[in-house]
Amino acid sequence: MKIIHKHRLCATIVSSALAAVASIAQAQAPAAAPAPPPAWKQGLPASMADSKLAPLAGKMTVTEASEIPLDKIKLPAGFRAEIFATGMPGARAMARGDDGKIYIGTRAIGRVYELSADGKSSRVLVDKLVQPAGVAFKNGSLYVMAINKVLRFDGIEKNPAVAPIDMTAAFKLPPEQHHNWKYIAFGPDNKLYVPFGAPCNICELPTPEYAQIRRYNPDGSGMEVIATGVRNSVGFDWHPQTKELWFSNHGRDWWGDDRPHDTLHRIHKTGLNFGFPYCHEGKLADDSVKKVDACKGVEQPVALMGPHAAAMGVTFYTGKMFPAEYQNVAFVARKGSWNRNTKIGFDIVTVTADKDGKNSKVTPFMTGFLNPSDQSFWGRPAYMLQMPDGALLVSDEQLGAIYRISYRK
Amino acid sequence: MFLTKVLFRRFLVPAALAAGTFHAVVAQDLSPRIAICATCHGQDGNSRAAATPSLAGQPRIFLENQLITIREGIRVIPAKSGQLDGITDREVIALSKYFSGQTLIPVASQRDEGLFRRGEHLSREMLCGTCHVSDFKGRDQMPRLAGQRENYLLHSMRQFKNNQATGRDTIMAASLYGIADQDLIAIAHYLSQLK
Repeated sequence: MKIIHKHRLCATIVSSALAAVASIAQAQAPAAAPAPPPAWKQGLPASMADSKLAPLAGKMTVTEASEIPLDKIKLPAGFRAEIFATGMPGARAMARGDDGKIYIGTRAIGRVYELSADGKSSRVLVDKLVQPAGVAFKNGSLYVMAINKVLRFDGIEKNPAVAPIDMTAAFKLPPEQHHNWKYIAFGPDNKLYVPFGAPCNICELPTPEYAQIRRYNPDGSGMEVIATGVRNSVGFDWHPQTKELWFSNHGRDWWGDDRPHDTLHRIHKTGLNFGFPYCHEGKLADDSVKKVDACKGVEQPVALMGPHAAAMGVTFYTGKMFPAEYQNVAFVARKGSWNRNTKIGFDIVTVTADKDGKNSKVTPFMTGFLNPSDQSFWGRPAYMLQMPDGALLVSDEQLGAIYRISYRK
Repeated sequence: MFLTKVLFRRFLVPAALAAGTFHAVVAQDLSPRIAICATCHGQDGNSRAAATPSLAGQPRIFLENQLITIREGIRVIPAKSGQLDGITDREVIALSKYFSGQTLIPVASQRDEGLFRRGEHLSREMLCGTCHVSDFKGRDQMPRLAGQRENYLLHSMRQFKNNQATGRDTIMAASLYGIADQDLIAIAHYLSQLK
């Protein structure tokens, strides 16, 4: 049966091949038009045309705990890392339910995982989605946001088989996919915050609905654009004291190893402009997408997070377990660079700053994923989740694992 | 059934030998899978059908990632429907290693010198070699293009251009924005001619 089936399929392939040949013959006639510059490499200077830099390959297969070199992780004195969960390829942002289950988004593998409260067992809650990176939990419901779909699972912790409600239409997601995978979270105002990345490396936006952060009512109504000029943010949190949103932002590629930096910003009021595509770091005018007074009126970053470092998850620590000096400090995961000849990031750093974002200081916290001497890396920390006991979970997107960081004097 | 057995006898042993570093048990487990792939992609990973890609010599990670996304139903290829159901990660890794280790035998059409030169020029101008490497043999998650089936290259690029490459790399889709179809034809012709 199967074999007959396959032969029929091969016949289909052959006939479509013949059709393709016919269309080649037809299409050869018109005069060739000049090729447009590839959008994702717009701004790449001639001096870098021979560069071999390219995005790093993800790992889509399961990594067993025994294959994870946990002993390579370095933390400040008193902290220790252990493996909390494994077996979830592509694990990124984590959202914790009221009963302790943890929901985990992914990109390429298209799954959302549900992890038991103790980290010992997991299942694929939903799959076949287009980069369902956004997960958030509110009032018993799990919200999942893929590039082109929004789902809500009501009462999911109590009813594991609950069918999702498709909320896509209400959110009016724009069509371009690049940089439109999400990080989502509910703010102190109970609104759902959603970033929309620029669908290119550096470009004038094809339509205005990109390079911005929006917020919605939980049902998708009441949409407001709260920030513009944000190239690609995939991580944010609210300052525990000021309740202002602080977000990480990926800087553009192909502008040399040392510029621009990824950035950490704060939103002290709505309507602020963060510069893309004309201005980076609040001070560097772009060399390919130009405007007079490119940086005029552009917000200044709280901190520079390293050029091309891929600053991802942002989590303010408010737990009781870590020493007092970590209270209200922002932890930022830097997944690690690809568009840089010497790798940077592959770590978690702390950012201390005044409440108004002044006097920031970036300090390495969790390192050891990268071996600077041979430029190899084994893990890519992406997001954090503070647990009720004050421990910090860290997702490793490369190995599909979650580490638990705890502290004891 | 009979054909399945023939495929097993003919292909399994060489498959196990070619895998080399594999423990015999692993190679044996892999054989039915290779036989299924072989029906369209060739037992040595060299496709006999014009629109079916060759797998031989592709980067291992590229093959792994494609097999996983196809298994997961994210990258949809009607001709492959159901064939990867239930394949384990271990099998995916072993299959990818096997086909990656095979030697590609390019099956190029008659060279059209004008089209070839135009494709060469465009490929350079569009910096395809940055990711796919200057000899277009690919690396890591980025596929080998050199010597791939011309019709498949064209089909695949058209999918990216028309936003039909669901579940595949959005960077690749972004890099083919707005390109004219005749340019894709020239690039496919050029790349398929390379060794």
